[in-house]
Amino acid sequence: MTVETATSGSSGCEAGVDPRYRYGVYGIDVVSDTPLALPEYAHGGLGRVECRSAPASLFLTAMQGVDFDRRSDSWYRYACLHDGSTYVRWDTVGEFLVAADGRRISCRRVEASSLESFQVYMLGQALSFALVKQRFEPLHATVVVVDDHAVAFLGDNASGKSSLAACFLEAGHRLLTDDLLILQDSSNRILAYPGPPRIKLFPAIASRFLGRTVKRVPMNADTDKLILPIDAHRSCASPVPLKAIYSLAAPRDVCRRQSVSIEPLSPREAFVELVKSTFNRRLVNPQRLERQFGVMASLADVVSVKKLAYPRAIDRLQEVRRMVLADLD
Amino acid sequence: MAVSFSDRVQVAPDVLFRLAGEEAVLLNLNTERYLGLNLVGTRMWSVLSSASSIQAAYDELLREYEVEPAQLRADLEAFIDQLLGQKLIEAGPATEVSDRQA
Repeated sequence: MTVETATSGSSGCEAGVDPRYRYGVYGIDVVSDTPLALPEYAHGGLGRVECRSAPASLFLTAMQGVDFDRRSDSWYRYACLHDGSTYVRWDTVGEFLVAADGRRISCRRVEASSLESFQVYMLGQALSFALVKQRFEPLHATVVVVDDHAVAFLGDNASGKSSLAACFLEAGHRLLTDDLLILQDSSNRILAYPGPPRIKLFPAIASRFLGRTVKRVPMNADTDKLILPIDAHRSCASPVPLKAIYSLAAPRDVCRRQSVSIEPLSPREAFVELVKSTFNRRLVNPQRLERQFGVMASLADVVSVKKLAYPRAIDRLQEVRRMVLADLD
Repeated sequence: MAVSFSDRVQVAPDVLFRLAGEEAVLLNLNTERYLGLNLVGTRMWSVLSSASSIQAAYDELLREYEVEPAQLRADLEAFIDQLLGQKLIEAGPATEVSDRQA
């Protein structure tokens, strides 16, 4: 599997961005003019993104005469600009302008947003636009590390990916990434790259599996979900080989009394699950679809992808964890 | 079915095809729609897209599968209708074999 990437080009920082704040996330070199809750730059080289703060006037100017995408709503707005850049905004979080080549993100946090919440959206949703523009294909997945191998859980929002991952953390496994996954073909194996060391959970799950002492910050004003930083011994900051992908059956498709099941998928079925799990569904054009088609088909050919179905009850998660671990063996 | 068995089908422009194990997946880049083909569908696609006519494809499939001719005809017609509906193929008058595209 090959994913073409844009190379960084220059070795230094462009004018205007403080080179002190340099980080690595998803295998990407992220340069910022403000501190971010990320590990220092250690594993990069797949690409480079510069994040710089910008005043409201920059976004107002950019958006003059531009209509929002018809799928926008009052809280989340998105628009493609004539120069190929992308504007995206979450009303109580902030706004972002992603350059056409994906190498720069202009950012502005609204006062009502916590720093943690803003960074979740910046390093997730907003960064995903930059990643796709740089020809990556991020997956909507949460990944844990089991015996030095990555195990990915695919699923829609609220499908239980992070909750299941939290159950793995309880057992001593480590978090690789929550929500966004970058994979790269390297020396005949697929490497999964680490995301920000934090996980988003509802309070009951957080308390049950991570304890009450972990710092927690509300994700935004419209949800009870919390942002929880994960410390170094419970997170993995290096890329690891991918061993398996489990696509979570939707909660509505699983009866409460149903037993936990793991079913292998054919390459065709795996392809469908992978395409459904693309992280960014906004940037759609023939070139991107063609690339995505090839990437996902190649991935389905080489990686074990299975359907994992289980009732969404907090007291069943340990059983799910046991079954997944047994399946991996 | 909207076409005749004397017609020939060919893959529509901007359609991607990829084998996935013994099955296959298709994508129309213009409509952004995907179609998954099972084992039999994959074989039907392969035969249809290379045959000089739908009739020739039908004859080939009848030789390969233990199936009643009428059932195969109905299945093939339904399959072609689905492919046409999703703009994955185009149909037109059959050409001579020597003129057939590779």
